[in-house]
Amino acid sequence: MDPAGQHRDMMYCHECHDEWYRDEHGLTCPECGSDFTEIIEEDHDPRDHDDDDDDSMPDLEDHHPQHPLHHHDPFQPADDPEEGDISRLQWRQVGPGRFSVTGTVYRTVSPHGQGRDDGGANALGGFASILNNMIGGAARGQPAPEDAVHRFSYTSSARLAPRDAINPQAHMEPVDEMTNVLVGLMATFGEAPGGPNAQHPHGHPPHANGPGGGQMPFHPILALLNGMRPGNGTMGDFVYSQEGLDRIISQLMEQTQSSNAPGPASQQEIDALVRKPVTTEMLGSEGRADCSICMEEVNIGEEVTELPCHHWFHHPCVAAWLAEHDTCPHCRQGISKHERPSNTADGNTGASGVNNHGQMPGSFAMGDGPANDATLVQENWENSGSSQQDSSSGGIGDRIRRGLFGPPHR
Amino acid sequence: MALPKRIIKETERLMAEPVPGISAVPHEDNLRYFDVHIHGPSQSPYEGGVFKLELFLPDDYPMTPPKIRFLTKIYHPNIDRLGRICLDVLKSNWSPALQIRTILLSIQALLGAPNPDDPLANDVAQRWKEDQNAAIETARQWTQEHAKP
Repeated sequence: MDPAGQHRDMMYCHECHDEWYRDEHGLTCPECGSDFTEIIEEDHDPRDHDDDDDDSMPDLEDHHPQHPLHHHDPFQPADDPEEGDISRLQWRQVGPGRFSVTGTVYRTVSPHGQGRDDGGANALGGFASILNNMIGGAARGQPAPEDAVHRFSYTSSARLAPRDAINPQAHMEPVDEMTNVLVGLMATFGEAPGGPNAQHPHGHPPHANGPGGGQMPFHPILALLNGMRPGNGTMGDFVYSQEGLDRIISQLMEQTQSSNAPGPASQQEIDALVRKPVTTEMLGSEGRADCSICMEEVNIGEEVTELPCHHWFHHPCVAAWLAEHDTCPHCRQGISKHERPSNTADGNTGASGVNNHGQMPGSFAMGDGPANDATLVQENWENSGSSQQDSSSGGIGDRIRRGLFGPPHR
Repeated sequence: MALPKRIIKETERLMAEPVPGISAVPHEDNLRYFDVHIHGPSQSPYEGGVFKLELFLPDDYPMTPPKIRFLTKIYHPNIDRLGRICLDVLKSNWSPALQIRTILLSIQALLGAPNPDDPLANDVAQRWKEDQNAAIETARQWTQEHAKP
């Protein structure tokens, strides 16, 4: 379910430059039907080659015979991006209803400075990244190979597909989308900025001259946005079309589809469940019964685990379920001793909070404050609009909280 | 990955004791992928239509719900343009005690009882609320147009 960390082959079409996941659309381009496609590999990225051929990538010398970087002292510490660091950011129509945003940012990285890399992040590169991420495009940062002066070429491009206003199209449920965005944003608070995937998308190690000297100056917001993308930082998720957008929204929906389901039961509580051998009266009227999770028949004398609601299952079967959701598969009653505030947002003592406590490094400190914040967020949310998708009160609050405390483990 | 016994049992049972108005047949090359047909419930605008769906059992089924999508175009406030279904038991209210059979029955019931207050297709739901008769008529037309066996 959660594709983070798991490798998925990306495909690339040489005809129309579309990109897609191989396991979703196979080897043939879903956009133009071409067979002239290629698997994108870490050490062989066909997109690099195309970028070289692409006349949208300006040759700097054409436009800046005397590039400002020519006289730039890379060792001079500076917190603001130099004018010369921007080389180009342009919007270009590439076809009917399609636009391409192309930006090339040359960034000088001072070897003095971790401070600069982390705090004084590259506002311009960051801006391009934000832009790209907003529209679901991909930002590809590539350290220039001739990196002797600690310079990075940062190139990013994406295409926009505006909504088709003529043909009827379904609405995209802004409420759910925003919820997903929020959950994604919240979830990333617990991750190291950038994440392991985000920093070296092509596997080039940074040329580390000095502490942090060679790091790509990723903006913290880029790190946040990276976490929002399906695949958590997988590079190359372009949106070319309504279909592409639908695909990404489907993925987001799937990732959060169970996020307002009850959280897990604690391991102690699962271990403490009553185990007992099956007796005659536990069997149905036909004198037989099976575990409704694995559907295997259960015989008299076989040991099963009984929940407080007296429904029983094989222990491994029900333990696997309770470790994800504290509900009886039959009647939905939880096994937690204290009643969980499953549908209220005011519970900072609820089992879901306790169970997940401390799982997320870098998350907000747990306590009264954040719980109140969650309540606040939820109230604002409900005031600001309808939350029909999650009309059960506290649904959004739960989702946001789950975002804060970590996504459900799979 | 070997097919869990539960999936084999469910498949066998679906074949041996089919639900009236519902069929689910696994692909030969992928026993987790089912072609599903659901007959529109009587006295609904979907009556007389046969709707095709695809159903996929993820690796962690039954700990996670099956993935189901309408392939036949359908005009329904809880089913969107891409055939995605808004149904609680497919999402937060999934339970491993539910089965393919019960889920498909729930979907059939959803066809008989659209819920425009919990919409997935906002434009359809809007119309359903504003002019229910017209919306039902559209649903009937779509059924004639797209869901004819």
